[in-house]
Amino acid sequence: MPEIIFANEQKTLSVTNGTTVLEAARQLGIVLETPCNGMGTCGKCKIKIGSDYFLACQKNITENITVFTENKENENKTLQILSGGQSCSCQLKPFISKQFDGEKTVVYGGNSALGTESGDTSKSCYGITVDIGTTTLVVAIINLSSGKEIVSESRLNPQSTYAQDVLSRIHFASNHEGLNVLQNVLIDALNEMIGTLSEKAKISTKNIYEIVYSGNTAMLHLACGIDPKPLGQYPYLSQIHGGEYFTALKLNISPFGVIYLPPIISAFVGADITSGILASQLYEQKETILFIDIGTNGEMVLAKNGALAATSTAAGPAFEGMNITCGMRAGNGAVERFCINNDGSIDYQVIGGTRATGICGSGLLDITGELVRQGIIGKSGRFTSQKTIDGLREKDGKKVFFVTDDVYLTQNDVRQIQLAKGAVRSGIESLLMKMNLKKEEVNRIEIAGSFGYHLNEKSLLSIGLLPPEFEGKVTFVGNTAQSGGTAFLLNVDFRTKMLNVASEIQKIELANNENFEKIFVASLGF
Amino acid sequence: MGKTKDELYSEMSDAVVNMEEELSAQLSNEAVESGYDAFEAIDLGLAKGMEQAGRLFDDGEYFVPELLMCADALNAGVEILKPYIKTERQEKKHKIVIGVIAGDTHDIGKNLVKLMLSSAGFDVIDLGRDVPPSVFVERAVQENAKIIMISSLMTTTMDGMADVINILNEKGIRNEFKVAIGGGPVSRRFADQIGADGYSSNANQAIKMANELVGR
Repeated sequence: MPEIIFANEQKTLSVTNGTTVLEAARQLGIVLETPCNGMGTCGKCKIKIGSDYFLACQKNITENITVFTENKENENKTLQILSGGQSCSCQLKPFISKQFDGEKTVVYGGNSALGTESGDTSKSCYGITVDIGTTTLVVAIINLSSGKEIVSESRLNPQSTYAQDVLSRIHFASNHEGLNVLQNVLIDALNEMIGTLSEKAKISTKNIYEIVYSGNTAMLHLACGIDPKPLGQYPYLSQIHGGEYFTALKLNISPFGVIYLPPIISAFVGADITSGILASQLYEQKETILFIDIGTNGEMVLAKNGALAATSTAAGPAFEGMNITCGMRAGNGAVERFCINNDGSIDYQVIGGTRATGICGSGLLDITGELVRQGIIGKSGRFTSQKTIDGLREKDGKKVFFVTDDVYLTQNDVRQIQLAKGAVRSGIESLLMKMNLKKEEVNRIEIAGSFGYHLNEKSLLSIGLLPPEFEGKVTFVGNTAQSGGTAFLLNVDFRTKMLNVASEIQKIELANNENFEKIFVASLGF
Repeated sequence: MGKTKDELYSEMSDAVVNMEEELSAQLSNEAVESGYDAFEAIDLGLAKGMEQAGRLFDDGEYFVPELLMCADALNAGVEILKPYIKTERQEKKHKIVIGVIAGDTHDIGKNLVKLMLSSAGFDVIDLGRDVPPSVFVERAVQENAKIIMISSLMTTTMDGMADVINILNEKGIRNEFKVAIGGGPVSRRFADQIGADGYSSNANQAIKMANELVGR
């Protein structure tokens, strides 16, 4: 059996002849970017053997080899993941409470006793909120007596090692074995994070009694070990509805700890959005508010005097820097800010202050937005020949915009951005139509999510992801999946309240809208 | 007006490339009034324009909206010329059944491919979306189609494409049809894996592929 050595990771594996490098990496838990799920089309899993480059998903191991991966070991440290978000003020009334009877401490969940602990432990009562994102996990420990967040940590969702995007992951988990694998790696990661965090906070994991799982619907299926297959097939039905409790036996917390799952709105609008609605108190606002979580799936909620409608659109992975020639995640080396000054000179900012090695989502939107604003990219999305600027040069006979000598934006990249922003914009248009609202009637646009936080209003308007009528009304509210999850943890009344809110939301499936194609095509231009 | 036939055809072609619907209709009327052969006017005029639009799409110059507008201009002309096509000039078109595989309702890509194939002279029968594998086969047999084209945008539904091929094999009619696939998550490699005859990554390439599959 040939042996493969991953030099940077210092890991070795013997494999059967013909195993791909990607398969070996997955067995060793080494993360390689695979947005095309090993189809050999995206080129992101590039590795080096000797002086030659190969795609890990296409390279079969037939002899002993030593492989060099792009160094990702620091990715968890440098990746920009936002853990805090706008939140609502709430009265402290957690589901979990404790009472010392002079001898032992009884732990209550609501009105029923969950278990007892010897001695007086009533001062030590903690809960956890977890935002299970497709790409990232955020875990925070909350003191249930004070309502304060003590510590938090974020890292990449280890499930991405097996399948990167939501649909590939649903596909992977469509059989029992795959589902087990994905559930277990998630639980291992959560336990590890809970372990380090409680050490850091100097508390015992035994005193953690409840975990709130915020996340998109597919991730929650996987976390709870529920078959996600129906999510990936029309009519896209969720198998769980949230507003329910699970035992937390696999998690490293109190033996009688529980997991609370907030209400789920639909197959593609999950508990993370319910948490967002709670954090933003959308159901109580008198104004008209559009709440959007921009990511691979653009989930959005439109609130008009407390009445809510929700939908999601398939934006694809372009905003995460995938499917883009020089695209990358928001880690060290990524161009994250870009602008063209009045004298035509350019300014840009690179994460970590290092040499630019790629462009992340916020950088992509800035670059495209600025080129559109300057008329270098025309309304139809093509590099025009009327105007020119330093950096606009030919590469392999095609016009390309160079940010640096190695980092550039191609015509095809612009097309991918058009498809992604067109999807979000057409979702917005469809929701407005459904609620009979004009664009100028929207008072406020709240952009949630860790990715959204790094965007700026000007770029969103320049590329037409948002219509011009929204100018000056955009606020970035951060990771409301996390802050809303904390609100669920701290006040049990929100649980019944949000169950009602979620059931009354008008759910809109864009695929069933006959005019969707027209709206989508009209939303592609700049 | 002193315009030669070639000049008129070339103007018709330009009208399609430039997305000028009214001009395309007007020039098509001119062709009818001048007594030119309607089939020829489509073939050497309008359709040439659509071919050029397809090339611009490949080069990244045109995108989906432009392609749709070019098709509108093409169809405006075809509507006018169609009634004048002499029956003996109506060559037998190759038939294609096309649809989105079961479980999937994303059909914008499929619609674009359908449009391009129709403009390139194929007789395209649209089975719609969320189409069960067995229906692809039944309809292909019924229509005596040459090609079965299957689209998917969701990784979770791609296995259904292989099922179409399996059914053809089981029925012993695999050789009677060419099977071609496409869509966001689909790749050449996947096409090879399931034994499909053709794969195309975009709507314009689909024409070239279809032509090759029917030996045109």
